[in-house]
Amino acid sequence: MSDARFGLRRGRRKLQTNNKDSEQLLRKHRPDYKLLVLMTALLVLGAVTIYSISPGVTALKGLSENFYNYKQLVAISLGFIAFIAASFMNIRFWKRLEIPLIVFAAIVAVSVRAFGAPINGAYRWLDIGGMSFQAAELIKFALIVWLAGFLARARINNTISNSSTLKMVGAVGLIIIVVVAGLQSDLGSAGVMIAIIGFMSFVAGMSMKKLILVSGIVIILLGLAIISSPYRRERVSTFLNPTADCQNEGYQACQALITVGSGGLVGRGLGKSVQAYGYLPEAANDSIFAIIAEKFGFLGTTITIIMFLWLFKRIKMVAEYAPNDYSRLLISGILTWLSVQMIINVGAMIGLLPLKGITLPFVSYGGTSIIFVMMAVGLVFQVSRYTDLAMYEGSTKAPRVHRMKSSGPVVRRIWSRSR
Amino acid sequence: MRSYIMNKSFLVSTHSRIRLLYVVIILMLGTFIVRLFYLQVVRYDYYQNLAQEAQLKRYEIPATRGTIFASDGENSVPLVLNERRYNIVADPQIITNKEQTATKLSEVLSLSKDNILKHLNAKNRYEILAKKQTTAVKKRIADMMTQGTITGIFSKTVSQRVYPNGSLASQVLGFVNDDGVGNYGIEQALNGVLSGKNGKVRALTDSRGVPLLASGKNVSIDPVDGQNITLTIDIAMQKQLEGILKKGLEHAKSKSGSALIMDPHTGAIKAMANLPTYDPTNFTKVKDPQVFNNATVSSPLEPGSIMKTLTTAAALDLKAVKKDQSFFDPSFYIVNGFRIHDIAEDGGARTRTVSDILQYSLNTGATWLLMQMGGGEINKQARDNWYNYMTNHFQFGKITNVEQGFEEPGIIPNPDKGYALNLKFANSAFGQGMSVTPLQMASAVSAIVNGGTFYQPTLIAGYTGLDGIFVANSPKVVEKNVVSKEVSKIMIGFMDNIVETNNFAAIRKGYQVGGKTGTAQVARPGGGYYDDIFNGTYVGYVGGNTPQYVIMVRVDRPKLRGYAGSQAAGPIFASLSNMLIDNFSVEAISR
Repeated sequence: MSDARFGLRRGRRKLQTNNKDSEQLLRKHRPDYKLLVLMTALLVLGAVTIYSISPGVTALKGLSENFYNYKQLVAISLGFIAFIAASFMNIRFWKRLEIPLIVFAAIVAVSVRAFGAPINGAYRWLDIGGMSFQAAELIKFALIVWLAGFLARARINNTISNSSTLKMVGAVGLIIIVVVAGLQSDLGSAGVMIAIIGFMSFVAGMSMKKLILVSGIVIILLGLAIISSPYRRERVSTFLNPTADCQNEGYQACQALITVGSGGLVGRGLGKSVQAYGYLPEAANDSIFAIIAEKFGFLGTTITIIMFLWLFKRIKMVAEYAPNDYSRLLISGILTWLSVQMIINVGAMIGLLPLKGITLPFVSYGGTSIIFVMMAVGLVFQVSRYTDLAMYEGSTKAPRVHRMKSSGPVVRRIWSRSR
Repeated sequence: MRSYIMNKSFLVSTHSRIRLLYVVIILMLGTFIVRLFYLQVVRYDYYQNLAQEAQLKRYEIPATRGTIFASDGENSVPLVLNERRYNIVADPQIITNKEQTATKLSEVLSLSKDNILKHLNAKNRYEILAKKQTTAVKKRIADMMTQGTITGIFSKTVSQRVYPNGSLASQVLGFVNDDGVGNYGIEQALNGVLSGKNGKVRALTDSRGVPLLASGKNVSIDPVDGQNITLTIDIAMQKQLEGILKKGLEHAKSKSGSALIMDPHTGAIKAMANLPTYDPTNFTKVKDPQVFNNATVSSPLEPGSIMKTLTTAAALDLKAVKKDQSFFDPSFYIVNGFRIHDIAEDGGARTRTVSDILQYSLNTGATWLLMQMGGGEINKQARDNWYNYMTNHFQFGKITNVEQGFEEPGIIPNPDKGYALNLKFANSAFGQGMSVTPLQMASAVSAIVNGGTFYQPTLIAGYTGLDGIFVANSPKVVEKNVVSKEVSKIMIGFMDNIVETNNFAAIRKGYQVGGKTGTAQVARPGGGYYDDIFNGTYVGYVGGNTPQYVIMVRVDRPKLRGYAGSQAAGPIFASLSNMLIDNFSVEAISR
């Protein structure tokens, strides 16, 4: 494996030019509107799916028929406000928010425990004026913002020192164990956070040795957490053999598989979902991917996955060509967050991963999740204005020959063409 | 490889590390697409079948069961109606507040909270909490659902039979069990006519079983409601008969008995009752299912001396004896080594007439009649003749096809098979060693007094179909030449004679009332007969120039001095005949 193949040479160049001091030198340019288009497409897919199963899921809960539609539309509207705000806010602004945000998240998490109502033995929600607030989403977001700043500062000579690593592991471990796994019994969110931390540290240049060591410890802790709670043990044993007990513990896993499988190649059609009528639990929330599979078939699921992949690719490119370490780490964290949630959610629906109670970003019903993921994309959108355009555009559009020589005149030509 | 990975030059740049994440994402999502292809395309049939198994449900839409009416002169009045009731059902999967729901429900339903909670904690999605609740209960539960104090409770409409006249004619009617199937009586015999045909629905449903409108696979066939039935039972006569029977049995100190009134010219049963009876509304509380039986059609008995009426009619019809013929009665006959004798009061050996056989109820006389059927002795010819009359003329030994559940045929001895055949047949000539139901006896006597036509006994006046049009049930002739018209006339006279001399209470000036008593020994379960237990029977008619009603009475094991037939059954017959003359426009003799 040569350096060139991993883009090592270009990477090194980037690191040399994009120092903290060079921030003000970056030119603002057109943002990546594909981010907005793909996000909107996924939001529409989710809203339409929720709308079409609304009679089924509301009837069984005795709610008014437009209950979910209304709340989802409100959430998307709020989400767009959050998106626009984040997309115009200077990236440096988030640096200032690091500590306040993480403190605020901690306070919310504790109040969820104190005032929230437990659902399935887990404290996850806080009711605020009729709208419930899912604390885990805020914590994830705050974690990414804080970690990006911390790692950017700690990053010296492309790596993280031992003392900084310990500091980070300590702080992060406290957040995860106390706030999430302990107070809220939400192992799914804890898993997403661990993935975010692990990958952000990895991007920041933490050595492989340390990463392997720390992840080894995390795996052991995770194992202990699973063994200690019968609720989690049950979930894992259900995952290992989901169809063994379709009537009780494995009910949701079995119904998810049935829902997905019964979609066939082209699906039953938009308004034709039957599984949403009480058979598949959480049809509008965690299980919405299965409903999409039932309605639109293999073609629909493939297109959905490609849309996600496309969005991830655009985010990845923003991260790759972000103007500085801080924004790169921020975007990497967001990419990890969205992709890991998507993978855990879809993997559970198709029987490849255990059910974790994780929403499908943009698509699932749920105000908090919608608002925070849209804000996150807004952040990516903002950073996409300052990317190193040469590399950014060149990597997809320009022939390999041009990319290798990406400097000055060639870059400008490509840029003006696309404009 | 290991040393390469640990080498600091590997994945040093942030770019390559970000790309590595992206490669992992691509690999994962690629795996997902492969997995989705397997689930949705390769295994589609399997999952589609699993989904259908749960989603596609077959339902029956219950047809409305036909109602039952009784005649009331020209009109009809309801005996059985339907009422809407509601089964209260829970779907435990969607109940969010089980404790509160159970507490609230226990206030409305007559169930304990713990009992309800047990249902609410079931893994099932369809738990029946209470059956056949009233509209008021259903409404209170619906209100609580809309208020949100309880969750996941539904009601399912069911139909329940109601009886405006209480236990009147309950054994004739029968009842409908919880599965909607008729048991006993009319409800059983005409279950098909009453129940109609249930509609069918095959539909994709939600998890509660509510059909989804969006599905194109729904199939539905409308139900065809059952027909309404009007009985030949006259409600006023039925009420009177039940009252008279009750009083008569109390007087006779008997626990059970039956009576029926029949129109001999059509076979229509005008009133029919047995005691003890039951309340069909609370049929589930009955301890002894024996009371469900309509004993007049389901409990054959040895009829005793009333049989001599038929023996006389048969001998006359065969022209084996003449109406005025007299013969020497030796006071006993020895048949197959057994002594057949008369009762003590009859005064020993002397010359008797055919008419005397009925008037004094002579066992020897009946035996003599049988001998005449064989040309002077009991032989195969006598047995065959008598057997032919019993089975082919009087239709004994087979069911009458009256519209009742559990009808019994009774037993008639075989003329060629078995031992002591001559004795068996001699006994059968005076109603022992064979059995018939009161209805069979009434039908046979009807044929004798109506000029010789055996009508199938029936309880059905007509049907009212879905179009609302009443279709009358026409009388069915089973056998035209039971006896000749002349014999019929002679028998009417003979029976009238008996009442004139024996049952003074029944005599009414200007009317013709005829009848015959029977006091039958009761068979011991191990064989032979009890010495001191008898059943009293009475069969007769009431009318003017022609008999208008035939009455049959049976009193089981009365505890009275004297003969059961005359002391226990006779007074009931007299009350019934007087009741008919007083209230039911029996035509007087006009000459």
